[in-house]
Amino acid sequence: MGISQDTIKQVTAQLYDRSLRGIPKDTEAALRRADAAESNETARHTLRIMLQSAEAAQREQHFICSDAGVPVYFVKVGAQARFDGSVRQAITDGFAELVASIQPPLLPHVTHPLTLERGYQGKGMPIVTFDMVDDCDYVEITCSPKALGSGRWAALQIFSFPDLKTIETFVLDTVIQAGSQPCPPVVIGVGIGGTFDYAAKMAKEATLRPIGEKHPEKIVADMERRLVQAVNQTGFGPMGTGGDSTAMAVHVNYCAGHGFTPVAVAFNCWINRRTKARLYNDGRVETLE
Amino acid sequence: MAVQEHRLNFPLSEADARRLRAGDLVTLDGEIVVTAGMPTHERLLRCLDGDEPLPMQLQEASVMHLGSYSREADGRFEVLYINPTTSTRFNPFMPRLLRGFRWHAVGGKGGLDRASAEALQEVGGVYLSFLGGGCTLLSHAIEEVRQVGWSDMLTHYRLVRLKVKGLGPTTVGIDAQGRSLYDDEKAAAQARRAAIIAQMDAAR
Repeated sequence: MGISQDTIKQVTAQLYDRSLRGIPKDTEAALRRADAAESNETARHTLRIMLQSAEAAQREQHFICSDAGVPVYFVKVGAQARFDGSVRQAITDGFAELVASIQPPLLPHVTHPLTLERGYQGKGMPIVTFDMVDDCDYVEITCSPKALGSGRWAALQIFSFPDLKTIETFVLDTVIQAGSQPCPPVVIGVGIGGTFDYAAKMAKEATLRPIGEKHPEKIVADMERRLVQAVNQTGFGPMGTGGDSTAMAVHVNYCAGHGFTPVAVAFNCWINRRTKARLYNDGRVETLE
Repeated sequence: MAVQEHRLNFPLSEADARRLRAGDLVTLDGEIVVTAGMPTHERLLRCLDGDEPLPMQLQEASVMHLGSYSREADGRFEVLYINPTTSTRFNPFMPRLLRGFRWHAVGGKGGLDRASAEALQEVGGVYLSFLGGGCTLLSHAIEEVRQVGWSDMLTHYRLVRLKVKGLGPTTVGIDAQGRSLYDDEKAAAQARRAAIIAQMDAAR
């Protein structure tokens, strides 16, 4: 027995569907903490409406946001996992079936980058990345669809031998540039080092880390603490109309590299879409988020 | 200072718009026109230039940047859900549209630029910030589709006059005095930048 194409198809479609109708538990808790700590009354109102909106969407099985974004999947493949069929095709088919049946229907956000034609399918869609993981017999799939509001404000710059101050200032300036646009309070992911493409991947993966989970290395955890304080001192607040809650978290990932150091910054809006499941060789499916 | 909450009838009158202050909360009853289209904004400018007739009365209307999923069934146009879209995309169009149509309320998410804020001040209009990610709550407020303009366009690009009840609350992001919370927050963040960096230095 192995992980069937049909199971992957169904699970990935469900992960996408579920990511649109609720927020992760850690995110709900972070919004409640922000509400308790917020000094700006308008901002507190906005935070409470955010919580009400998430709760109503969950209860009524409706969407939190009309922008369902583009489907994005991160797949960690256990070295002992066995597949019965094509994983890529299963995810593509799952999304196609979802689009045909989902209620309420999705707006066609998948856009051809050269002709600006819109639809539900397109070259390279869904966006799927695969990583190999040793010593396990499952595949772990995270769905984090990306919408325009937060996707637009990501940034990447390549430095040569930057010091910590240079890196942290770049992150701060990216946040100031984004301002009200990515629907704060956001989760910010920062990727430092490696190569151009890898820094961006690390930044995106950093947004997926549960809120409250610190980086295990002190030098990085300290940087995360400095950055989240710095970002929240900018004063943009919920939806950018002022307040103390601009970021729920700043997560940093890094990788060794050469003397050129790419620094990438990615944003997740307050909904912080993230669902995750593990599919085992014996057919079991475990929902993690 | 306590937040001022208002429940107002739309389209918003100039007098009501001028009474609102940035940071106030507004819940909407009445009629609004929604669209999420760049081509729609371009087309509206052509109407102002006299190149094409308007599909509906838009003078002193309340026009919101709300994306919507709509469908036509049995000859009826039905809006299943609405949610704000990023207004800054429409910055290049808004000053002329605001002055040409004397819109006393516009809205969406993310705000508008200084040129639009000046136009709002001139005509007596406000910008309302809707909750990004308020789809379920905002959609509850739809009572009726009153009119649809430009049926030749994609549904969410069309101009749709909606009757709403209890839409919001929204935050006044830009008021008719020309105060913009977006400009204020950006300027404040820029002004604090050096101090924030110094604080990070001290903590390193």
